[in-house]
Amino acid sequence: MIQVKISFQLNGDAVTAEVPDHTTLLEMLREEFELLGVKEGCGHGECGSCTVLVDQKSVNSCLMLAAYVNGRTVQTIEGLAGAQGRLDPLQEAFVKHGAVQCGFCTPGMIMSAKALLAENPNPSRDEIRWGMAGNLCRCTGYVKIVDAVESVCKGGCSCGEGS
Amino acid sequence: MKGFTYHEPNSIGDAVNLLNDNGARASLIAGGTDLVIKMKQGKSEPEHVISLQSIPGINEIKYSGEELRIGSMVTHRAIEQSKIIRDKFSLLADAVDNLGSVQVRNLATIGGNICNGAPSADTVGPLMALDAVLLFEGPEGERSIPITEFFHGPGKTAQAANEILKEIVIHDLPPGSCSRYIKYTRRKAMDLPLLGIALVLVSDGAEDVCKEARIGLTLAAPTPIRATKTEEYVAGKPLRSSAMWDEAGNIAVNESSPRTSFRTTSAYRKKIIQALLPRAAFEAIRRLSEQQRKG
Amino acid sequence: MAKVLEPKTGKPEFHTVGRRIPKLDALEKVQGKAAYIHDLKVPRMLYGKILWSEHAHARIRKIDTSRAEKLPGVKAVITGYNTPEIKTGFFKDNPVLKKDKVRQFRDEVAAVAAESEAIAEEAVRLIDVEYEPLPAVFDPVEAMAEGAPLIHEDKDSNILKLPWKLVCGDMDQGRSQADFIVEESYSMPWVTHCCMGSSGCMAEFHANGNLTVHSPTQIRYLAQRDFGDAMKALGLKGKRVQVVNTAIGGAFGSKLDTYPFEFITILLAYYTGRPVKLVFSREEEFFATPSRQKVDARISQGCKKDGHLTFREVEMVLDNGAYTSWGATTPSVMMMPISSLYKVPNIYYEAKCVYTNNIYATAMRGYGNPQATFAIESQIDTLAEQVGIDPLQFRMINVNTPGEITPQGFQIGSCGLKECLESVRESLDWDNKKGKQDGRGVGLGSLIHVGGGARIYKSDGCGTIIKLDDFAKVTVMSGATDMGQGSDTVIAQIVAEELGVEVDDVIVVMGNTDMETWDVGAHASRTTFVAGNSALFAARKAKEQILDLAAPLLQAAKEDLSIKEGNVFSRSNPEVSMQLARVLRALHFKTGGTQIVASHFYDPPTQMLDREMKGNFSVAYTYGVHGAEVEVDKETGHVEILKYVIAMDVGRAINTMLVEGQLEGGAAMGIGYSLMEELKADQGKILNPNFLDYKILTFPDMPDITSIIIETEDQFGPFGAKGIGEPPLVGSAPAIANAIYDATGKRVRSLPIIPEKLVAQEDE
Ligand SMILES: Cc1cc2nc3c(=O)[nH]c(=O)nc-3n(C[C@H](O)[C@H](O)[C@H](O)COP(=O)(O)OP(=O)(O)OC[C@H]3O[C@@H](n4cnc5c(N)ncnc54)[C@H](O)[C@@H]3O)c2cc1C
Ligand code: FES
Ligand code: FES
Repeated sequence: MIQVKISFQLNGDAVTAEVPDHTTLLEMLREEFELLGVKEGCGHGECGSCTVLVDQKSVNSCLMLAAYVNGRTVQTIEGLAGAQGRLDPLQEAFVKHGAVQCGFCTPGMIMSAKALLAENPNPSRDEIRWGMAGNLCRCTGYVKIVDAVESVCKGGCSCGEGS
Repeated sequence: MKGFTYHEPNSIGDAVNLLNDNGARASLIAGGTDLVIKMKQGKSEPEHVISLQSIPGINEIKYSGEELRIGSMVTHRAIEQSKIIRDKFSLLADAVDNLGSVQVRNLATIGGNICNGAPSADTVGPLMALDAVLLFEGPEGERSIPITEFFHGPGKTAQAANEILKEIVIHDLPPGSCSRYIKYTRRKAMDLPLLGIALVLVSDGAEDVCKEARIGLTLAAPTPIRATKTEEYVAGKPLRSSAMWDEAGNIAVNESSPRTSFRTTSAYRKKIIQALLPRAAFEAIRRLSEQQRKG
Repeated sequence: MAKVLEPKTGKPEFHTVGRRIPKLDALEKVQGKAAYIHDLKVPRMLYGKILWSEHAHARIRKIDTSRAEKLPGVKAVITGYNTPEIKTGFFKDNPVLKKDKVRQFRDEVAAVAAESEAIAEEAVRLIDVEYEPLPAVFDPVEAMAEGAPLIHEDKDSNILKLPWKLVCGDMDQGRSQADFIVEESYSMPWVTHCCMGSSGCMAEFHANGNLTVHSPTQIRYLAQRDFGDAMKALGLKGKRVQVVNTAIGGAFGSKLDTYPFEFITILLAYYTGRPVKLVFSREEEFFATPSRQKVDARISQGCKKDGHLTFREVEMVLDNGAYTSWGATTPSVMMMPISSLYKVPNIYYEAKCVYTNNIYATAMRGYGNPQATFAIESQIDTLAEQVGIDPLQFRMINVNTPGEITPQGFQIGSCGLKECLESVRESLDWDNKKGKQDGRGVGLGSLIHVGGGARIYKSDGCGTIIKLDDFAKVTVMSGATDMGQGSDTVIAQIVAEELGVEVDDVIVVMGNTDMETWDVGAHASRTTFVAGNSALFAARKAKEQILDLAAPLLQAAKEDLSIKEGNVFSRSNPEVSMQLARVLRALHFKTGGTQIVASHFYDPPTQMLDREMKGNFSVAYTYGVHGAEVEVDKETGHVEILKYVIAMDVGRAINTMLVEGQLEGGAAMGIGYSLMEELKADQGKILNPNFLDYKILTFPDMPDITSIIIETEDQFGPFGAKGIGEPPLVGSAPAIANAIYDATGKRVRSLPIIPEKLVAQEDE
């Protein structure tokens, strides 16, 4: 089988992988790097549960060929918490505001919110809704997710941190 | 997804050669948001996938004052964030504002949106109304095709198998122009249009007469169309007359032939044309008034 | 954030009950550490894949698996011809691998196990099946007609031998007493659960012949029983089955039955001698997971001039699809609102379930109640209008009250319907906004649901085992299931409250049939009530043991002792106190020492419905009202929700934040059901098996929700709580339909209310 060699920054580390050409970024992250926080909810770009940041921009890892990230940086939910497992303010807010039910959508939601706040540190509730429209959740009805994201910008936490 | 060989050429020439050498067995990939899904579904099974991401010069938005040139690899997100497009070609900003999600827009390109040939493509209606010209590169060199002549049927275009879209060229709009694109969807976000109405209007200023109207409709027919009869009717009429726009809506309905599918009926699509054409016009005119107020 | 209306008795002093405590597993989930079935991987694990039917109805002439078998990496290819017959479903009418014929597009024809998912997929493509198409039937009415193609040839009719009928009072009298009668038809489409995590399971046989199935099921113990039946078919009678829950990526009723794919996975694991995992793709999840059933209803209701209802009559036809899962039993729940929403003395209800070549139906949040309530509550508005009484007032006239016994025999204990109606009136500014028909409108939909379990099975019980260690850390082993709704947290709060410890000191272990005691499953909004009571009583027993043994240590009378904030102390003299952990160690570390372990099995004191379908099948009933304000675009028919309010009588909110989570999540599902969700099929084939075409609400579609939590303190509920898992979507459709009527004067009697239906009517 034809393999591509891919070197990139993954959650802060320089890494290399050799995978078949048709591997998606999602497959590579889950299978080669065991980053199981990257969830596949649809595989077609329609649900956002596979959202990761590539060069700080949110993308659907299920739609991206792994080869695309050669020379780029990739951040997943596993790369969000700081030293000694200190949670990102967004992760804390999701816990505190009850934005998590079954949790399947949660990693993608948080990555999407991360990208949103990096570009717009003080979004309105509507800006949050439109900015995160690509992430579906069947459990929460979204209200508490908006609350959580809003609390992070209102709280003036270090939401732009690392970006 | 079936296995393939991935190529990432560094020049458009290399890309054309690769494409030419492999013929029907090769496929170009831009953002991949259409192609990867087709490959996953087995609807497309290329043996060679040629990425355009490392080709220099085709991912910029350039404005000279006379024309706007958008590289085919420009993402929808970049269009969304371009000030010049929002200020001068606002219907194109409308088209990408609610195209897919942020994640999709970060990947998906305008070139892919056009070349994919989907009747629902959001940028196509606006580009039709802008009289955009598509600049291709092939083994024989450059070729330009007006977008109004590009679509032959769902998924069928004038593009040859060994051609690559390089740029989209749009002439500057005359003074007194305004525009709007309305995408009518069932769900607010993450939805394909049930109907798209794109419109560029040119006012004569003083008399408030509509000098020129260019109307692009998507999903109003098997391929995106220009509503030429409606355009003819509107030209020379008072810009701000609701009766005139209601009549324009009727004419547009008559010159469209939308499909009934499981997504909606032909009758409902017509209803939307009738209801939204006047609204699109008045929203465009409101933009004009705002511009004039700002001076 | 919710407004909480407390009972007039005032709120007792609680330590943890009522607090907004974050869900216990949220910390794991925000870090992407929760392991769903998709994430499970064990050494030597194989991947399973199913070959689905290509026809809605066809005879299987031949299955040739030879090409698939030769593919390197393929370990087993199974069909109905090389495996023992196993049938599943409520009527055991669903062979897990189809032999002789297929009855719908989603039928399982063959399956493979292979070294990788890609090989399994390739292998499935290499299986050749020869079909002989048969005439098919997709309309239940046509399927009932003489000479219609028989879906099951061993049965003499497509009508299921499951006649649902309820008669209460005297219908002739009910009709003759009525001054006004309205008779209408309503129709409700197929909709589906759309769990973000698709279905799947992993099966593994052990050296001793025992089986472990890892699964996100909602019914570990019923699944254990069903899988046990399959073991018999494999000649493994007497062997043990263990069912272990993975993290559940949403359930909503979809995982309330056992399905062919699970048995197929077990078969594949058996024949390969290796662990096998089978997970649905999103497309499979859409077409192969049974859905909420399609219902056509005729309904009539009558009332006197003063608005008092005199009768309600409902006849329904349910499209059962080709096989029978729980969908066919939803009339047992539809009866509840039909007989007991408002005081209606005379009731007639009849439902037929009919086999067709469509997809089949299972449980889905609300279990028939959303369909029945849409018809009832839409029609109540029409009736009120005919009588000339404001619809909210009309409901007040007929409102249910505490202490009432309904015609079906339900003993209504706590009942806050009146308070719910009043709160919605105020929240929507009803009196000012109602009745203008100016493009904006308000509407409401009331509901009743079981709130204290539901005896639809021989046992409605749940077991709990509690142990305390030497550091006063509490482990609660509960039969309950957490699908994201927060059962883990609620149980921890109840136990912490009763034992006087912090929630942080409590660990809740669930999801392993080898480790806890039986529970019937996470359905019928029963977990907080039934598992909560079970945990409460187990904690009470543990506390009794502690106080019994602590009394001599503290030299105090047991009756005088209590536990609070981790200390055992004397109520009469708080100076006398000892850390709970020290008490526990003192009891343990001595000759003949002991540790505290307590267990309780709680089965609510309810009745199975009798032959006439009467009886008190729940200990408590939950009432609520949904209210909506909408704006309708006259030209396009687009409906915008301006305000959405749910007032719910929850008995007691053990955790206000989790209650809100249920209300908001339910509202999102309910609004989707009302306005855009529909599984569309053409000749039995699903046309929209993806999230682009099957539309659930996205962020911008979802309005903020006003939650009004009404606490009526149910006498049987744990700390007064009642179940509320399903009600948050039950009243949505009528509330929205009624608001649309108020805005436009147009009555839409079929769901979803897409804009086409609003403008098409204008054309006519
Ligand atoms: C979840 C989701 C939502 C979506 N929503 C919308 C929507 O609302 N509106 C909408 O219009 N679209 C939507 N799309 C479709 C898609 O995102 C767009 O069509 C996008 O613009 C395609 O661009 P791409 O770069 O990803 O194309 P690719 O998938 O890379 O390519 C598409 C096709 O065009 C060809 N191609 C690409 N670039 C060139 C080039 N330069 N020269 C010649 N051929 C080329 C490719 O060979 C391929 O056949 C959605 C897609 C997804 C997954
Ligand atoms: S899995 Fe990638 S968007 Fe759904
Ligand atoms: S929490 Fe279950 S899908 Fe969002």
